[in-house]
Amino acid sequence: MSALRGRVALVTGASRGLGRAVALAFAREGAQLTICARGAAELEAVAAQVRAAGAAVLAIQADVRNPRDIERVVALTLERFERIDILVNNASELGPIPLPYLVDYPPDAFTDVLQVNVVAPFRLAQAVIRSMLTRRDGVVINVSSDAAVTGYPGWGAYSVSKAALDGLTRTWAAELEGTGVRIHAVDPGDMDTAMHRAADPDADPSDLARPDDVAEAFVRLASEPCPATRLEARSLLEVRSHA
Amino acid sequence: MPEVAGWKLPPELRARQPPEQRGVRRDHVRLMVINRAGGSIGHTRFDRIGDFLEVGDLLVLNSSRTLPAALPARRQDGSPIQLRPSVRRGPQWDALAVQPIPPHANVPLAAGERLAVAGTQATVEGRRPDIPLLWRIRLDEDGLDRLLAAGEPIRYSYVPGPIPLEYYQTVYATHPGSAEAPSAGLAFSWELLLRLQARGVGIADIVLHTGLSSFQDDAFDAEHHMYEEWFEVSTQAAAAVARAQRVIAVGTTGVRALETAADRHGHVRALRGWTDLKVSPARRPRVVDALLTGFHEPQASHFELLEAFVDRDLLRRAYAEAIDRRYLWHEFGDMTLIV
Repeated sequence: MSALRGRVALVTGASRGLGRAVALAFAREGAQLTICARGAAELEAVAAQVRAAGAAVLAIQADVRNPRDIERVVALTLERFERIDILVNNASELGPIPLPYLVDYPPDAFTDVLQVNVVAPFRLAQAVIRSMLTRRDGVVINVSSDAAVTGYPGWGAYSVSKAALDGLTRTWAAELEGTGVRIHAVDPGDMDTAMHRAADPDADPSDLARPDDVAEAFVRLASEPCPATRLEARSLLEVRSHA
Repeated sequence: MPEVAGWKLPPELRARQPPEQRGVRRDHVRLMVINRAGGSIGHTRFDRIGDFLEVGDLLVLNSSRTLPAALPARRQDGSPIQLRPSVRRGPQWDALAVQPIPPHANVPLAAGERLAVAGTQATVEGRRPDIPLLWRIRLDEDGLDRLLAAGEPIRYSYVPGPIPLEYYQTVYATHPGSAEAPSAGLAFSWELLLRLQARGVGIADIVLHTGLSSFQDDAFDAEHHMYEEWFEVSTQAAAAVARAQRVIAVGTTGVRALETAADRHGHVRALRGWTDLKVSPARRPRVVDALLTGFHEPQASHFELLEAFVDRDLLRRAYAEAIDRRYLWHEFGDMTLIV
């Protein structure tokens, strides 16, 4: 249980769902962590669990919409841990619930989804990759979705944002070739999370993956080289179970 | 510049905004090259800096991250002031206290008074004895979080409007702590740095957290007071310097850090701490072979350091040419390479 011993990870949207599961999985594997989210109380609860797992943790209430908060999170992490080895861009905005068709979509809400799901990951990755390049080491994992590649009615802004995030990841991966810094987009699959319940209230939870299981794919991707730029979490877990 | 009487920078040569806001890529600013051996002065574009570097050369970057170091505060009588911490030791700051609006004149505080500072409180302990314009201030909690939450980048009068903090960051900025941008590195892009690395130029980084370049008092500034700045030279940086053919400091901050960490024979060891070393013709560099720097006005103590590298006449000629050729000055301006 020490695949990430000594590594410093920054996980956004870490107060619940996949972000929480990834933070706890990283902590169990020996990482030091910064976690951030908008909700202070939920975030503090996760921080307490991370500490209980024996990991050093910095919990920062932050809204990734705000560039000042992004700088604050990155700078405070670098001050505390002196470097960032792993960034998980997990914070994500689904859009207005229930999800409207694009034809009915409030334009401000559309912009907001792109702000949280594309612009914020860009800013965070840029701030973090800049210092990774000096050390020629590091990995960025962007949380993508099946909706990035398939058009589902109602998933408009979210779909567009995740497709853009995939594009961001693809171009950036090409630019980072040979630098020692990696960037990936991971489709976690359908999970039993608050976000998924909001998007699809009728889904049967027994058909859905548990975030804690999916988080193992993030541990694997953070700790071992992987040739694919975009991948499904499931494929990593299958490889492991066959190994 | 040596004698400054009568030297005037035409005001329009002060860069008013970052290159990107002028429609110029950060690595497409202009580069003046002063060649000491030949006594010659050349002119090119920054992204062609590789033409003057060789395999085995080492660029030493200052990876200090710029803080939004102008922090709004309020006195007990309700009047607003701005604090500019120059030296930070956790919650203990040595800070300038100025009016919140231009021309940001110094505000005399009182020992023992309490200040409201961005959601926390602070106590003024008194003036710093050697630099009386700096106030010893103790915050009730960690000041770094407060600065990041509420500060703005320090901006001087030649920059007319607010500029987002990211324009004050080098592309390799890592460790937070500089009161003002370590600006000699602002022209590097990672695209350029990766290309130089691929051609055999090495890169190492040191940390030196810059203090304030002005105490908002012309007479006091003219006296060139030196005070301590935090620096760190890592084991890896020291080893890279030992292997290098030529050591090129990016910025005078890199010179200070490396020269502080050098012994009298010019061997650099890993070292961290506070430095108030003044490199000048009287204390010439022992480690640094070449220097990349921006253009700053001659009253800046900067020039004494340049004179440690370049003789007076050549430096004077170079700066006269730079003005003739309309080079831009200050943190968002053009660059000089001294080889």
